[in-house]
Amino acid sequence: MGGIRAVIVDDEELARHLLLEYLRAEPDIEIVAECGNGFEGVRAANELSPNLMFLDVQMPKLDGFEVLDLIDREIAVIFVTAYDQYAMKAFDAAAVDYLLKPFSQDRFHAALDRARRRLAEKQKMPEPAELKAAASAPGQFAHRVVVKDGARIHIIPVEKLDYAEAQDDYVALHSEKKSWLKQLSMASLESSLDPARFVRVHRSYLLNIEKIVKIEPYTKDTKLAVLTDGTQIPISRAGYARLKELMAID
Amino acid sequence: MHPIVLNRRSLFFYLVVWIPLVETAVVMLSLAGHFSSEESWALALPFTLGLAIICLSPFYMCRAMPFDRTPVWRLLGSHLLAAMAASGLVLAGVNFTALGMDRALPGLARRAGPVMPLLALFAILIYLLSVGLHYAGLAIESSRRAELLARDAELKALKAQINPHFLFNSLNSISALTSIDPSRAREMCIHLSDFLRTSLRLGERITIPFAADLELARTYLSVEKVRFGNRLRVKEEIDPACADCDIPPLLLQPLVENSIKHGIAGLVEGGEIHMSAKRNGKSVYFMIENPFDPDAKENPNSGIGLKNVRDRLATRFGAAGKIEISVEQGQFRVTLSLPCEKGRTV
Repeated sequence: MGGIRAVIVDDEELARHLLLEYLRAEPDIEIVAECGNGFEGVRAANELSPNLMFLDVQMPKLDGFEVLDLIDREIAVIFVTAYDQYAMKAFDAAAVDYLLKPFSQDRFHAALDRARRRLAEKQKMPEPAELKAAASAPGQFAHRVVVKDGARIHIIPVEKLDYAEAQDDYVALHSEKKSWLKQLSMASLESSLDPARFVRVHRSYLLNIEKIVKIEPYTKDTKLAVLTDGTQIPISRAGYARLKELMAID
Repeated sequence: MHPIVLNRRSLFFYLVVWIPLVETAVVMLSLAGHFSSEESWALALPFTLGLAIICLSPFYMCRAMPFDRTPVWRLLGSHLLAAMAASGLVLAGVNFTALGMDRALPGLARRAGPVMPLLALFAILIYLLSVGLHYAGLAIESSRRAELLARDAELKALKAQINPHFLFNSLNSISALTSIDPSRAREMCIHLSDFLRTSLRLGERITIPFAADLELARTYLSVEKVRFGNRLRVKEEIDPACADCDIPPLLLQPLVENSIKHGIAGLVEGGEIHMSAKRNGKSVYFMIENPFDPDAKENPNSGIGLKNVRDRLATRFGAAGKIEISVEQGQFRVTLSLPCEKGRTV
């Protein structure tokens, strides 16, 4: 096993400083980047190919879970955060470990040992989407969806998301006449969004009901939803039943 | 059951109040109807006792018909009808005892006939007086309960205010500082302790001077400044005339916390928090303004701290306490206006 390349992502300078100090005692770990916000974290992860990330959760621009969401490659993650009861569940389930601020050097060392073992075994890391779902409070849904657009990161607030369309392993997110591809299953996107706003009207379509202008009959069993921008989306029979229930129409 | 009857002491006092009324009735009867002293007592005692009992009955009607939420005609009609019924009942009782005492005091019931209208009127007036007293009692009780509820809500709000995130992040900063800069670590420990101690102490009070509450907010800021470094900058324009106005404790610190949590903390470069306070006659105005990231996940408006401040102002001052929130060009601004009270510090 070669050395471990680590990235630190935390918006507080003192918090980064503490990690650096603790890491001085670990000669096999090379720090390839110190990042003060989520954007830098994503860039460092994708450009410098680290295999370990110390990740804070509450940060400007992108939070820790969104950072994970935007990293394509496998990386062992140790969350470093102040207490958060919901997030802790996610850490238990998915991350290599989590450190609750403030933490001791011994505790830090133990977390690193777990990461070393995990990296040596080449265990599969959990899906970021899974992590995110476990980390959100019941009844709380995403306010926005983050997508990578080449080197840039695009943030789509949910109220601007018109509909999502399944495309093989990807989901195409349509917002304001543009569309972005995100590697994600339709089911995990659906579970992260507010079910009172987004309805699976078709096996391949998840629709923001606030964008519907009218519903027209199409074939015997199916209908068409016409959106504010004129787009037509097919509605299956089961999808129409769900839509009817939500919009209280007969 | 009527609350007076439930308590032996209050029942005793209630009956004592009726003694002068018995005597009034005796005097009234002997003057009006040429009754002997025994006869006057024989009429006045059952009359007053009956009245004393029946005057407890408006309790149920008053509770069923709240004074401020019942139409006036219904209020008047119902109670007047009840008063007449009550008076009829009492007079029937008086008549019945008079007949029963026919052997000791012959012809009393018959001779009492002419004074009956006078007694009826007297009974109606006393009954209506009792209705009024019942409404007064109920009003006192409901205002006391509202005050208790408001106090309870405030305590809950205060308890929720010490944010664990703030605490743990501050402790983490101290932990980092111990090796880099021990004296700053110590300084931060002191600031943090000051903040915790003062907020616990002030939280128990009903009002504190504006200056003390501002000082607490400043202590909070000094802790956060260590955490955020030069990302957090503060500008103050405080009118010294505000210093001695009495305000509810821990009113300003939640606003500062909100500015950091939903404003500065979400900005990579941080920003400046601008606080200003003005005094205009009997009102104090406090304004706090901070930049925020319009693309942030959470709206600066959504914080629980702001909701608490709004609730506390409403319970304390009603319409006289206001909180206004405005958002323009990436700046979030909260303005408080509340009465400048003085000398009420508890």
